[in-house]
Amino acid sequence: MKTDELVHTLAADTTSVAPRSLTPRLLLATAAAVVVWLALLIPIYGMPATAAPHGWFWMKNTYSLVLALVGLVAVVRLARPGGRVGWIAWIALAAVAALAMMAMRETMRAAPGEVVPLWLGQTWAICPVRILVVGAPMFVAAFWLLRRMAPTRPALAGAAAGFFAGAMGAATYGLYCQESAAAFVVVWYTLGIVICAGLGAGLGRWLLRW
Amino acid sequence: MTDTESGLKEMMLRGLAGDAGAHAQLLGALGGHLRAYFARRLGPGAAETEDLVQETLLAIHLKRDTYDPRQPFTPWAYAIGRYKLLDHFRRRGVRKAVPLEDAGVLIAAETAEEGATRRDLAQLMSELPDRQRALIEDVKINGYSIEEAAGRQSMTPGAAKVAIHRALQRLARKVRS
Repeated sequence: MKTDELVHTLAADTTSVAPRSLTPRLLLATAAAVVVWLALLIPIYGMPATAAPHGWFWMKNTYSLVLALVGLVAVVRLARPGGRVGWIAWIALAAVAALAMMAMRETMRAAPGEVVPLWLGQTWAICPVRILVVGAPMFVAAFWLLRRMAPTRPALAGAAAGFFAGAMGAATYGLYCQESAAAFVVVWYTLGIVICAGLGAGLGRWLLRW
Repeated sequence: MTDTESGLKEMMLRGLAGDAGAHAQLLGALGGHLRAYFARRLGPGAAETEDLVQETLLAIHLKRDTYDPRQPFTPWAYAIGRYKLLDHFRRRGVRKAVPLEDAGVLIAAETAEEGATRRDLAQLMSELPDRQRALIEDVKINGYSIEEAAGRQSMTPGAAKVAIHRALQRLARKVRS
């Protein structure tokens, strides 16, 4: 078939098309996932505030939500042809650096025998896994929606989707997590989120091509 | 060059609003620009050039809802062309860098003369389900309007439009496999 003929065939498929926006869809899907998780968790563990009544309760969630916001902006940018992450990535690095500094301060103030518990907490082995599990529906939703877009850097777009899903998983799981040390969060939360991003990069390479 | 950008963008916006004539004009013009761009990257007379032009036009058509009208048009089209070129190398297992140039290189040149295709889209189309194929052939070769073509298949025009769109999506997948 000649290219000319193809052009006419494609023109026959012209309908009025609205620009596709990703942000509202992704936010809606994410909110739905959070609601479903809360509907499952509240009957078992009670309301979040009573489940984890620590002074540092908001530290974990602010951290996760800042990373999620960076992930969201990155996904939305990378979803379109030619999209780049841009300076927003520095905000994620700044958040990690700020929390790492808080962790250092905690460590210096701690008595010698308290340092290791500060960094490992009670749940270090299971925390990243839980973040992965809680973030799974957000991960699926982000990939599902990205497949309808046109990322020209599929692996990077997948990594951003995984990063976003992991951070949202961490924010949701953080409502019930019993740990309260910045040292714990900066290592294990970040690890869980980075694993999600790595999975996203690997899958994006295959699933986000078009 | 800015004239080309504003002209292309204008056609794109009219096409997005449902103007089939403007959309055909846009795809025709992009075909010429993509042909020149791919020929420069693949070398003159490369057999894959026209195949890539067709594949990219299909992608541009099917993904046109990812264009943000607040942004310039050329970088969007260039990113798709470059992506399709990279994807082409990757699928053939060729390790080749494709420099990220200014998007203006896409519209800096054009080649109107079509090369021969290696892969025949008509052949791929014959593998589509009968109704989808018949609709496309009626619209493309026999020159029927969508309404007429739909009537010949005893479908509503709305259903025919959906079927044509599905057929093109299927075709785009076949082109890449």
